[in-house]
Amino acid sequence: MKRRQFLKGVLYGTGGTMVALGGFGTFTKLAPQAVAAAKEEAKTVFSTCEMCTSRCTVAVKVKNDKVVKVEGNPHDGATAGTICARGNAGPSLLYDPQRIKKPMIRTGDRGSGKFKEVSWDEAYAHIADKVKTIQKDYGAETIAFASRVNPQDQFFRLIARAIGSPNTFSHEATCPMSRTTALEGTFGNPYIGADYGNAKYIITMGRNFFEGIHVPMVKGVMKAVANGAKLVVLDPRFSVTAAKGEWIPIKGATDLAFVMALANVMIKENLYDKEFLDQYTEGFDQWVEAVKDTTPEWAEKETGIPKDKIVEIARGFAAARPNALIEYGWRTPWTPNDYQLRRAIMIVNMMIGNWEVPGGYYQKKGAGVLAAFPDQSGYAKPTGGGFGPQPAAPKPAKGRIDGAGVKGTPGQLIPPVDGAVGQITESILTGKPYPVKGWFVHRFNPVISMPESDRLIEALKKLDLLVVCDVYMTDAAYFADVVLPECTYLERYEPIIDQSGLVPKLQLRQPAVPLVYADTKPGWQIYKELGEKIGIGDFFSFKDMEEFLTRQLQPAGLTLDQLKEKGFWSPAGMKPFFMRGNDPKAPAPPTNAPNGKIAIFSHEIEEAVKGEGIPKYKQYPQPEEGKFRFVQGKVAVHTNAGTHNVPVLNELMPQNSLWINTQSAAKLGVKDGDDIIISSGQYEHKGKAKVTEGIRPDTVFAYHGFGRISPELKRAYNKGINDNKLIKNEIGESGNVVTSTTFVTVRKA
Amino acid sequence: MAKQYVMVIQASKCIGCQACTVACKFQNEVPEGQYRTKSPAVGPTGTYPNVKLYFEKEACQMCKNAPCVAVCPTKASYHNEDGVVLVDSNKCVGCKYCMTACPYDARFINEETGAADKCSFCYEHRVSQGEKPACVSTCVGGALSFGDLNDPNSDVKKLLDKYKAEVRKPEFGTHPNVYYIYEGVK
Ligand code: SF4
Ligand code: SF4
Ligand code: SF4
Repeated sequence: MKRRQFLKGVLYGTGGTMVALGGFGTFTKLAPQAVAAAKEEAKTVFSTCEMCTSRCTVAVKVKNDKVVKVEGNPHDGATAGTICARGNAGPSLLYDPQRIKKPMIRTGDRGSGKFKEVSWDEAYAHIADKVKTIQKDYGAETIAFASRVNPQDQFFRLIARAIGSPNTFSHEATCPMSRTTALEGTFGNPYIGADYGNAKYIITMGRNFFEGIHVPMVKGVMKAVANGAKLVVLDPRFSVTAAKGEWIPIKGATDLAFVMALANVMIKENLYDKEFLDQYTEGFDQWVEAVKDTTPEWAEKETGIPKDKIVEIARGFAAARPNALIEYGWRTPWTPNDYQLRRAIMIVNMMIGNWEVPGGYYQKKGAGVLAAFPDQSGYAKPTGGGFGPQPAAPKPAKGRIDGAGVKGTPGQLIPPVDGAVGQITESILTGKPYPVKGWFVHRFNPVISMPESDRLIEALKKLDLLVVCDVYMTDAAYFADVVLPECTYLERYEPIIDQSGLVPKLQLRQPAVPLVYADTKPGWQIYKELGEKIGIGDFFSFKDMEEFLTRQLQPAGLTLDQLKEKGFWSPAGMKPFFMRGNDPKAPAPPTNAPNGKIAIFSHEIEEAVKGEGIPKYKQYPQPEEGKFRFVQGKVAVHTNAGTHNVPVLNELMPQNSLWINTQSAAKLGVKDGDDIIISSGQYEHKGKAKVTEGIRPDTVFAYHGFGRISPELKRAYNKGINDNKLIKNEIGESGNVVTSTTFVTVRKA
Repeated sequence: MAKQYVMVIQASKCIGCQACTVACKFQNEVPEGQYRTKSPAVGPTGTYPNVKLYFEKEACQMCKNAPCVAVCPTKASYHNEDGVVLVDSNKCVGCKYCMTACPYDARFINEETGAADKCSFCYEHRVSQGEKPACVSTCVGGALSFGDLNDPNSDVKKLLDKYKAEVRKPEFGTHPNVYYIYEGVK
């Protein structure tokens, strides 16, 4: 062992060459585990992962100020101390020499990739100048802000609030936002969790637990399956999740027909919990009416699933009640009315009374929720805000570009905290309802994450100001005026992360090591300093994150040191709390539910769009012969548009291919591995074919996030298929993007 | 009493997430492009829509009767006191005899050390310190178990008592210490 380590020391010790050579980052001289080992024993820093947005707890192993390994947090029962491949790859991101290391200002045309490195002061001054000009010429509301949801949003969005722009967006319209709309419409709030581990029957429609990995949820589903639960997977593609259950290759965009047929069977055969519905819900009669004709025979024609199979699933699901669930979905925006599918799913769930019982759905139990339950309220007190006193924000001169949240209009369906992010492209290009002139982007990559990449890039080129803050020169950053290098999650504090489930859970993200690249900064600091430059510094009324966190924790009776101990806090001795755990008749109101009842008929949704208060089926076109429905999904080793350039993960999966059914491929003369051209009519993309039995003959599939456009992502650049190049930028009924109604043709290249 | 360390892999619980693959790389500083373990897919097999797929973690099978140990001219490959097959990189001359002898393709020449390399059951840095191997500790699907087969209370003993397990390529007479349980996948 000695010689090997000695050899490494020599290799790593020979100056700067290894950094250039070492693609991994991990094993370059920046993190020589062998060298570090000689000096110091590993210490453990407990924190929160950010290789995706699931925020698993982690134990970061540090030797001599270098992260040598990231492991799961052994104190956390939710993950059982495990983390996924991406979480394990943290050091590879941290030490990647391709990270951006200095602020940059564009010097050439947009898309030319010409930038100069500048000081932070210059970068801030440049942005502040442009912001003021736009404010003066067009109004602050013409500056949009979009981020991938993250705990630092409160600093990023504060810039918008303080200058008077209402146009703040998250990435959620491209992911679970239609579910949010459905949950808000049904339960009054979106903080609804599922207790997979105790379920005896799980139906998932497209939600691919085992590739779109959220570690605690994988653990839950796997526990259920290992205990003999039935897992039914409806998906046009044979996913890993499908491989662990019964695969039902449903015809795309018809899921709602299946769900309504389940309801039809359950009502006809009296397989539902009438007492539950009477006590806890309202509007069931309208649902009975809505599904009276959605018979299995009808649904067979729509979905391609044999009617007997539908009846069998309905019976099996109902027989397991209430410890059964139909998964409400995660990356959900398949069709324009996707939110109605999510609504219907939750209604059928409520038909078996799987609310606030093991193996069912539940209100997430933050301290605020527990307050209403005398025997639970002692376990936790709510956290507070981290800011000191703040000045009053100016009232935005105009409403949001997407009309989100405006009562009595379709915009009411769009959660204003998220917004219809696709509208930014449209407003830039069409000037409607008014133009967008500036765009701040934080840790979000719209060029790959939002539909119709070419049209989006066209829009970016028209902006007066594009500011992108990230860790890489992402595809969006490549078109920016100013690029701000954030440090990674392993180098920064963030506000408290509330991950409460059946018990309250507060998590910490804290630096494990000092900055690897001295001129990068944490997001909170970037926006605080930028705010000061713009003249809105008073809003950022905190000194540093230690102060911010301490203020947050104090009302909860906790200290920062306490959080650092294990990286998270949950009340000692508290058992998972189901409101109906002991008594099926106990009060179990969802937070903010209108009248305290679960809304099967939703007056809110009816108010937004007349006639939509109860889900109804919309038939979307099916691909004609020769065309394919194009669907996409996640892969276990990558996150959205985020990790494809991370050395270790890129090495595991550098590119994707287009899945096509064997028979369909044969008709086209396409063989496995062939170069192909995929065409949506409007756009074309080159790629490789993966010929497989694991997909419907009328559907093609690609993993998301490949085919990168920024040449600065040297490993991921131009590798594979960028799905969003082919997908049209359509804005769905709840502001969602629409991922699964694009049809394509395929031909040999 | 000497231990008999074994790894048990339950294919039905492996989701092919490669957390094990990455954890192993960091634990053991395996160079870019090289792996001590990977969990590739087997399948899909069958015809649409009746298809099957599972994953099978690949690594050194820790043979009790190890051809690599037998052929090593310098005794760099050896069994330690707990029956784990290890490589002493000080003694390894990089002759690759072991690579040819291994029926499981488990070995490679580490580009940085020049010595033969392979799964070590994380013996030195973890198992001898009372920890589980890195891959086992991070297994998201819960497919991997590790322990002493001589310990009647170990997970591995219980699993092997309960399920029918297989070793790979038994016809080579290598008697691996890595067991595969295929119940529910084949
Ligand atoms: S699922 Fe993986 S990447 Fe996401 S937070 Fe958990 S460990 Fe990190
Ligand atoms: S036991 Fe250790 S060396 Fe072997 S595959 Fe697992 S992590 Fe790698
Ligand atoms: S970590 Fe576990 S579940 Fe994931 S690929 Fe490895 S063995 Fe399979």
